[in-house]
Amino acid sequence: MYSRRFLLILCCLMLLATQTSCWSSKEIEDLALYAGLALDTGELTPTEQALEEQGATYPKRNKITVTIQMVPANSVGGIESSDTSSGSPYLNVTGTGDSVLEIFRQYSIRRERPIIGHHLKVIVVSSELLKQQKMNQLMDFVLRDNDIRPSTMVFLSQGRARETLVSKEKNEIPAFHIRDMIRNQKRTSKLMDPVILSKMDALMYSKRSYALQNLVTANGEVEFSGAGIIKGDTGHWVGMLNQEDTECLSWLTNEGKTGVIKTYDWNNQPMTYEMKAMKSKITAVTDGGNLAFDVKITTEGRLSETWNAEEYPSATKHAQKAEKLFKEKLEQMMQALIQKLQSDYKADVAGFSDRLSIQKPALWRKSEDHWDDVFSRTPIHINVDLKITDFGSFTN
Amino acid sequence: MFVRTDDKITATQAAVFLNNTLLGAGILTLPRSVSESVKTPDSWISVLLGGAIVMLVVFIMVKISQQFPGKTVFQYAAQITGRVFGGGLCVLLVLYFIIIAGFEIRTLAEVTLFFLLEGTPIWAVILPFLWLSTYLVYGGINSIARVFTIVFPISIMILLISFILSVRLFDINHLRPVLGNGFPPVFAGLKSTVLVFTGVEVTMTLVAFMEKPKLAVKAMLGGLAIPLGLYFLTVVMVIGGISVDSAITSTWPTIDLMRSFEVPGFFFERMEFPFMVIWLMQMFCNFSSFFFQSTLGISQIFKIKIHPIIYAMVPVLFLSAMLPKSMTDLFAFGDAIGKMGIVLFLLLPVLLSVIWLIRVKGLKQHV
Repeated sequence: MYSRRFLLILCCLMLLATQTSCWSSKEIEDLALYAGLALDTGELTPTEQALEEQGATYPKRNKITVTIQMVPANSVGGIESSDTSSGSPYLNVTGTGDSVLEIFRQYSIRRERPIIGHHLKVIVVSSELLKQQKMNQLMDFVLRDNDIRPSTMVFLSQGRARETLVSKEKNEIPAFHIRDMIRNQKRTSKLMDPVILSKMDALMYSKRSYALQNLVTANGEVEFSGAGIIKGDTGHWVGMLNQEDTECLSWLTNEGKTGVIKTYDWNNQPMTYEMKAMKSKITAVTDGGNLAFDVKITTEGRLSETWNAEEYPSATKHAQKAEKLFKEKLEQMMQALIQKLQSDYKADVAGFSDRLSIQKPALWRKSEDHWDDVFSRTPIHINVDLKITDFGSFTN
Repeated sequence: MFVRTDDKITATQAAVFLNNTLLGAGILTLPRSVSESVKTPDSWISVLLGGAIVMLVVFIMVKISQQFPGKTVFQYAAQITGRVFGGGLCVLLVLYFIIIAGFEIRTLAEVTLFFLLEGTPIWAVILPFLWLSTYLVYGGINSIARVFTIVFPISIMILLISFILSVRLFDINHLRPVLGNGFPPVFAGLKSTVLVFTGVEVTMTLVAFMEKPKLAVKAMLGGLAIPLGLYFLTVVMVIGGISVDSAITSTWPTIDLMRSFEVPGFFFERMEFPFMVIWLMQMFCNFSSFFFQSTLGISQIFKIKIHPIIYAMVPVLFLSAMLPKSMTDLFAFGDAIGKMGIVLFLLLPVLLSVIWLIRVKGLKQHV
């Protein structure tokens, strides 16, 4: 009887130890969350230079400069302290070295709060860095890390990536700003679907070429402009697509279904077509053993703006003429994109490989290993079907 | 309170019992292990095919068990093949259960340490589960079955909610082409899909505990159909969500799927935390089931009382969990368990059935 009671008490005591359940708890106030990460070519910042001159350094080759955007706990929690002396809701910290993790750990000897990656939203990589290093090398750490979520979006930057994480707006956190701009996909297809880390992982593993949205900065403002192309077999940055190409790319891959097409009419006045529906279809065809792609683009929309005051295009007059002009313009834009992908960069970033592997798996297996080569030699026929369904609420 | 003294479970309880024995850590790694061997998006066919094979296996197990009402494999194996040989087979089975139990709780601990409790020592994660499980197993099959029936709907619900929310990433093109490389990759995947069903051997003891052993076929196949359906769903959602290429490179693809999206404004913004926390309960059930089976085995083979064995098992299970030194070891361990499962299947239900058929039908002996 006594031994049983003793056992019971012993068990209770042992269980008690597990009840606090805060063994590895960390208070969120004591952590520095980072929301943005920028990767640049190795270049010491003035602070770092000054530090290193005093011997504050360690053995490294300065291959990469890593900037993180820390979001102070008080601005995340919504508790706005009225008189913050710094005024800025974010804090960028930069370090230079060879390994991303090592640089991260170096921050710990410069800042009091440990950094934590659970809330990383945006990674910006400079195209300059991607000429030197492979994407796989740069993404390795963020994919392995257990804090950083695979939902993080990856972008490229034309200039220094760290400049995209700077804003002149007082109450704005640039990393969140970049993430939120993606919502404007409803308005323009110049914004591509963001590439998240888990997709990046798949792209790198399958060694396919891909396009990443490009960020350009000036005067503390960031613009999404075009896209950079990363070659699958090398993992290096090979070139840029301009805004119009990027828009066409979004349409081609069915990622974007919105946007405007502007052209000049018979009086050389601008007129604009607003897309209401869009569908593109890529079909792989073989005629006589030669592979070719048929691209069919069907779109309907509204004529939303015209500057032609004399011969106003409406449902009764000149509608066909306007339709034809827009159609030509769209075809031209598409041809320009295909031309760039096939001849300039020899990189299939528009998902032709996906269509081929689904429609003709046997043929795909044969050309899988040197797909970008095959792609650049494959004829692509573009067929546009454009229809103006209405002319807005203003008629002459 | 309604207290049962006869230690019997209903058909539904038996089905849930089997389900909770199968559905555990496998769901976290299955998309990777299948994709690694299939390499095309056809892994879902492998899962269905593997499930069909296991259904057949379970059918054989139930049929042989039904010949010995109220007796578990640990008892009737000796009857069929003699004490020494039968006992030897059963000891193998017990060892197998101990190893799976260790594997399950170790996986549980590894996932917890990597994603949830970085910095907590591993024993501090394993021991509470081990103690709690001891308490549960002490209560006998009835208490275990009842805990399972409580956990089952909760964990299934959270899994389904997570998958429903992951639809935003789902792209049917990730699952195409169907059979682009023909059937060979599908067969290659069978190896790993059959492995996720390791533990179906418990069928051979569960039937003995059923109130109405006649319902055993229905209950066991029902209990198997649920994990089969969920495995199928998991593979479809994970491959459809993050594609084959990403699933291959990810250590925990199912968790990575949950980590690949955020749901602003939903009750939880991130599904991986509720999912993992709830799934721990499922892995706990898994572990408890094998804990129970192994103690039952020892008790019945050596005819010893079960309660002291339960206590004696605690350190054994702890050691079994701590055996793998690294994650690589752990996954190698998992593969080894699968291979053992196949050998045991050949040794136990098949061999026993064959010998039993020869003795009863051929030699007209009374067994």
